[in-house]
Amino acid sequence: MRAHARFLYVALALVASVWVLFPIYLIVMSAFAHEETIFAWPKSFWPREISFETLSFFFQVQGVWNATVNSILVAVMTMVFSIALGAPAGYALARFRFFGKDVFRVAILMTRAFPIAILALPLTVRFIQIGIYDTPFAVALVHTALALPFAILVSSSLFIGIPRELEEAAWTMGCTRVEAFRKVVLPLALPGMAATMIFAFVISWNEVFAASVLTLQERTLTAYLLVSMVEAPLHFRFAGGFFLIVPALIFIFAVRKYLFSMWGIASR
Amino acid sequence: MKASNLLSGATALAATCVLLTGPISAAETVFLSTQLRPIEEAEKVRKVILKDYPKEVAFIPEEVGPFITRVKAEAEAGKVSVGVLGAVHGQLPPLAEVGALDSLDDVVGQLADRKLVSTFVELGKLGTDQHLYVPWMQATYIMAANKKALEYLPAGADVNTLTYDQLKEWAKNMHEATGERKLGFPAGPKGLMHRFFQGYLYPSYTGGVVRSFKSADAEAMWADFKDLWQHVTPRSTSYAFMQEPLLADEVWVAFDHTARLLDAFRQRPDEFIGFPGPAGAKGRGFMPVVIGLSIPKGTPDRAAAVSLIDYLTRAEVQVTTLQQVGFYPTVAVELPTSLPEGIKIAASAIDAQANASDAVVSLLPVGLGGKGGEFNKVYLDTFQRIVIRGQDVRKTLDAQAKKLAKVMTETGAPCWSPDAASDGPCPVE
Repeated sequence: MRAHARFLYVALALVASVWVLFPIYLIVMSAFAHEETIFAWPKSFWPREISFETLSFFFQVQGVWNATVNSILVAVMTMVFSIALGAPAGYALARFRFFGKDVFRVAILMTRAFPIAILALPLTVRFIQIGIYDTPFAVALVHTALALPFAILVSSSLFIGIPRELEEAAWTMGCTRVEAFRKVVLPLALPGMAATMIFAFVISWNEVFAASVLTLQERTLTAYLLVSMVEAPLHFRFAGGFFLIVPALIFIFAVRKYLFSMWGIASR
Repeated sequence: MKASNLLSGATALAATCVLLTGPISAAETVFLSTQLRPIEEAEKVRKVILKDYPKEVAFIPEEVGPFITRVKAEAEAGKVSVGVLGAVHGQLPPLAEVGALDSLDDVVGQLADRKLVSTFVELGKLGTDQHLYVPWMQATYIMAANKKALEYLPAGADVNTLTYDQLKEWAKNMHEATGERKLGFPAGPKGLMHRFFQGYLYPSYTGGVVRSFKSADAEAMWADFKDLWQHVTPRSTSYAFMQEPLLADEVWVAFDHTARLLDAFRQRPDEFIGFPGPAGAKGRGFMPVVIGLSIPKGTPDRAAAVSLIDYLTRAEVQVTTLQQVGFYPTVAVELPTSLPEGIKIAASAIDAQANASDAVVSLLPVGLGGKGGEFNKVYLDTFQRIVIRGQDVRKTLDAQAKKLAKVMTETGAPCWSPDAASDGPCPVE
């Protein structure tokens, strides 16, 4: 029976991995393929010859580096803003009883209920008026709004998971409320919060519409390339896809440890 | 990396970011365009077409949705940063409606010696009494075929004088011989199928687009087209750019916008041919597409914007544009004999189409304002209901005609070619 369960487990893991990895594999293969072989059928699973032609084109596209830098700026700002705003809100939800708590919990999700396409026009007008239009900062604000519900709900379940007694013990030993939080709760919550930040990073990296409406010359990489790629010939799309996937993959790989701890929280 | 390090590092980085990113004021002219979006075309605009322009230009391609949102937002906020707008005829009316476009009467006067195509200059008024765009480039829709398909052409048929009956027989021959349906249409969500109905099928069968929407001719036309669809690849409802299924050999014969076929002609000029749309009882319907240049009201440097429009409409720049991205000039120019192979294929088809003895020119819808999308939807829904879902032709036409009539009366748009002129809104007869 156990052997069966194990077999099933491995098989499912295998299916899930192939599900994710196979398209990435195809994109990588095609990104390094020659223009003519893209349409070849049947597809060969091993590259016959490697070509850097299409990919090197991307490194020469005007403004692609500026866009890459912008993407990183926006993503980092989104990470920090969403944790700076989300963690205190999550802590309050976890530790305090206050009037309208349940309504608040639902209201948090409302930011995701309005399609950004409808908000785009008034938002852009306002951003132009206050002078932050066409800056990474403006995009980061909108991305923070998108990432915030997740940041709040995850950090609240994070704080619920840290026994209240630990905090109370710290108080009895002379810690103030802030000190107890900093010395006892925060170290325990850090891995989970790091995971929340990673998620904010991914949301920001992948978001296109706000990033393209709110900026003109200071595009993020995703907005910059996606507009130009949807209609580009297939070989450019594969190369562009590769160009977009790689930074995100490297980032996720570097921080995967924290990602697992996030899943640990989710299953609690 | 420790979690705390990650946190504090990120915080420091974010603080720096906020400090570093102030609003950017650029001295260059911003050229925002819904056209030439594909990345290699955008690069050609930046590195070849604009190379000899003396001032700095930021060419920014953008999808239609964000494009309209941005221009409207800038107009509403009263702080405009865009210099020149490039868009298809039908994309500009929503902006003209909210008064975001500047009058270009002076620019048109200044460009009098350019010999701009006069019909297009007239279209550029968008139904007002001012010039709101200057024609920049033109394109159209044609048919393309893989040479392998030619052996299945019905006896006596010539691609350049093809009829819809012959197209059906051709598709049937290919279907029977190969066991696959080799005719394809761009009927996917991002495809331009509605233009096929408005500019090709309807004019060819009924001699009109709006007036004849539910006529007996139209009824016969839909029955015919439904018949043809048996031999059309079912993947058509996902296609956007026919160059892809053509290059992948999924499809042998296809209809699409010239710019969306060009890559096939370019990559394998020996394998593909281009030819005009087919003819029906009322002639060979076809539709030219005009792309215009506008200036938003309140642009930071109008003189620079005008000089960019001046530059883009120069004969030699128009020829470069054709050679680089395959869009045709809107000014009278001598075309060079040494065009790239792929562009030559498209050029000969466009030429044959425009000069066919039975040609019926369909203009782009005029005067629909922001209702262009609803207008297109009437045709696409009719196609969906009759051809894809197999609903009754007469009943569907009657139901859809009401929706079309509503669009026409709400906008008050008078008839445009090929429909006969009307007093007041174009009637659905």
